[in-house]
Amino acid sequence: MSYFLQLLVSGIVVGSIYALAALGFVLIYKASRVINFAHGHFIAIGAFTAYALAVDFGVNIWIAALVVLVFTAIVAYFTERVFLKPLVGQPIISVIMVTIGLASVFGGLIHLTPYGSGNFSLPAFLPEGGVTFWGISVSYPQLLAVLFTAVFLVAFAWFFQRSTIGIAMRAVADDQMASMSLGVSVEKVFALAWAAAGITAAASGLIVGAISGLNLEGLVGIGLKVFPVVILGGLDSIPGAVVGGIIIGILENLAAGYLDAYIPGGGTGDVFPFLVLLLVLWFKPHGLFGTEEIERV
Amino acid sequence: MRNPWTRTGNYKTSYKQDTTIFTTYSEQASLIVFLVGMLVLPQFLSRHSMQILDLILIYALAVLGLNIITGYAGLINIGHAAFLGVGAYTAALVSPYLPFWAVLPVSGLVAALAGAVVGIPALRIKHLYLAIATLAFQIIFEWGVGHSPALEQGGAMAMPRVVFLGYKVGFKNHHYFWYYVIFVVLVLLAFAFRNLLRTRWGRALVAVRDNDRAADAMGMDPGKTKVFAFALGAFYAGVAGALYAYWSRAVVIEDYSLAISIKFLAMAIVGGLGTLVGSFFGPAFLELLDINMESISHLIKAVYNPPGVDVASAVRPLAFGLAIVLFLIFEPRGLANWWRLLRSYFRNWPFKY
Repeated sequence: MSYFLQLLVSGIVVGSIYALAALGFVLIYKASRVINFAHGHFIAIGAFTAYALAVDFGVNIWIAALVVLVFTAIVAYFTERVFLKPLVGQPIISVIMVTIGLASVFGGLIHLTPYGSGNFSLPAFLPEGGVTFWGISVSYPQLLAVLFTAVFLVAFAWFFQRSTIGIAMRAVADDQMASMSLGVSVEKVFALAWAAAGITAAASGLIVGAISGLNLEGLVGIGLKVFPVVILGGLDSIPGAVVGGIIIGILENLAAGYLDAYIPGGGTGDVFPFLVLLLVLWFKPHGLFGTEEIERV
Repeated sequence: MRNPWTRTGNYKTSYKQDTTIFTTYSEQASLIVFLVGMLVLPQFLSRHSMQILDLILIYALAVLGLNIITGYAGLINIGHAAFLGVGAYTAALVSPYLPFWAVLPVSGLVAALAGAVVGIPALRIKHLYLAIATLAFQIIFEWGVGHSPALEQGGAMAMPRVVFLGYKVGFKNHHYFWYYVIFVVLVLLAFAFRNLLRTRWGRALVAVRDNDRAADAMGMDPGKTKVFAFALGAFYAGVAGALYAYWSRAVVIEDYSLAISIKFLAMAIVGGLGTLVGSFFGPAFLELLDINMESISHLIKAVYNPPGVDVASAVRPLAFGLAIVLFLIFEPRGLANWWRLLRSYFRNWPFKY
């Protein structure tokens, strides 16, 4: 039983990373109907910028984290302005492909720095050890990860419910024409959605850095894991991203914990989310909270 | 009677004329000249260039398949390399028992079956959801192969040497022999690709792409049409995968990974989505770009070469990604559009249009 609970807890920790990453992904999708294949690279940009600041330049880790959130938001903002804006109104495949192309460009740029290959770990900024209850041990970084995610979710919830920009973003997601006629700048909202997504991506990159080591492939891999999360939760649902993220995180850990022994080579956790994805697509294509599309000729 | 060798405008007056492939004799003549040129080309090329040419043609075949799925039917397919992989692993498993000319269609059919299975969700879901389903298939395929002891867990599975007319194809003429095999297969399947749009099934693909509800109302079944598109495109991919397996002499999972799937999509887009010539231009452009980036990375190394950085492995994805992005922003119709403009320039010369 304690084995199960242990898997559950680490699943929730991993799931909260997925939830944060998926949150940004859903923000972009809701606002501009763009599927962002470069999301994993935003996570990587955030994480490695933090590493560069904290280790190579000796900046205090908390200040570095703040700088990184702003920096990644700016990168995401200009990505939208420069590369996505010219493609407004183009077919879906063009938009998807441009994000795939951008992923490749970002990957190349990261490879041009020393962080492209190898493993890195952020300096430890929390005391060693952790808390143990009912035989389950949770380290401080893991606790912080969940806490950090919760803080972010509350902040974003406040932002969307109360702030003018947040309400404008929701309006655009709901009906672009109507919000345009009410004086909302749809263009600006698109760019802001990307900036917000950049912030969440950087935050999930920072949390990965706090819990475990950083390497490019792993961080980009989170960008892929976002797909099962958003399909399970519903592509255009922010609560769905959070719930889906945590469910996928738990399922992944349980699969790895219980099935790896029976499979030559193990690594069940890497593929299980995608099996879930296919099952969801077959039986409940719009996920737990997604809106069903109604089409007319 | 107008001059049957040239055409300066659209003089088609009937449906039958509209569906012809060649409108002038010069188009037919230039195609024949091109094909003959391709047949004698290996006489002038080194073994190394033959290897690259073979690769480009195999990729062209794969991109033809992708163009049926994504170009004609409008279904974004992020798992095309997995279809090639299905073909290649089928080839690896059956090649000891069958001659190579039988292995190719068998691989194609098995891949088509896989394509149809991947396409089944298309009965219910569409657009982005379908694209994500193909992505999941790609990842599950890679993982499945990597965990199958029968498939060497993704490690190298050797392909047997081929005996043709009692003559064993050896190291020296490997690339030349396979060039002709690929050439024949490619001409046949490109012919089928070009004629697909003249059949009711091909036209159904385009109708479903443009508006599936309207196509439904006209009596086509959008779901089945999409499954058909996946099966047909995967057949092309399966044949290409088997050829790739023979050409590279071994089947390794890295050759059928997500990165390759993305490469195929990029090739289709850079070439021009849904066009025949684009299926050749795209692979040629991106492969030659990739090869040239290696020499360019040497130049960059002279200026920027810090320790711990592999410039060559950084420059290639950079150039690849930039090519995709720049084409999408500045020439979304791809190289095929340049080809069209070039042709109309010569056809209408000395007039502008």
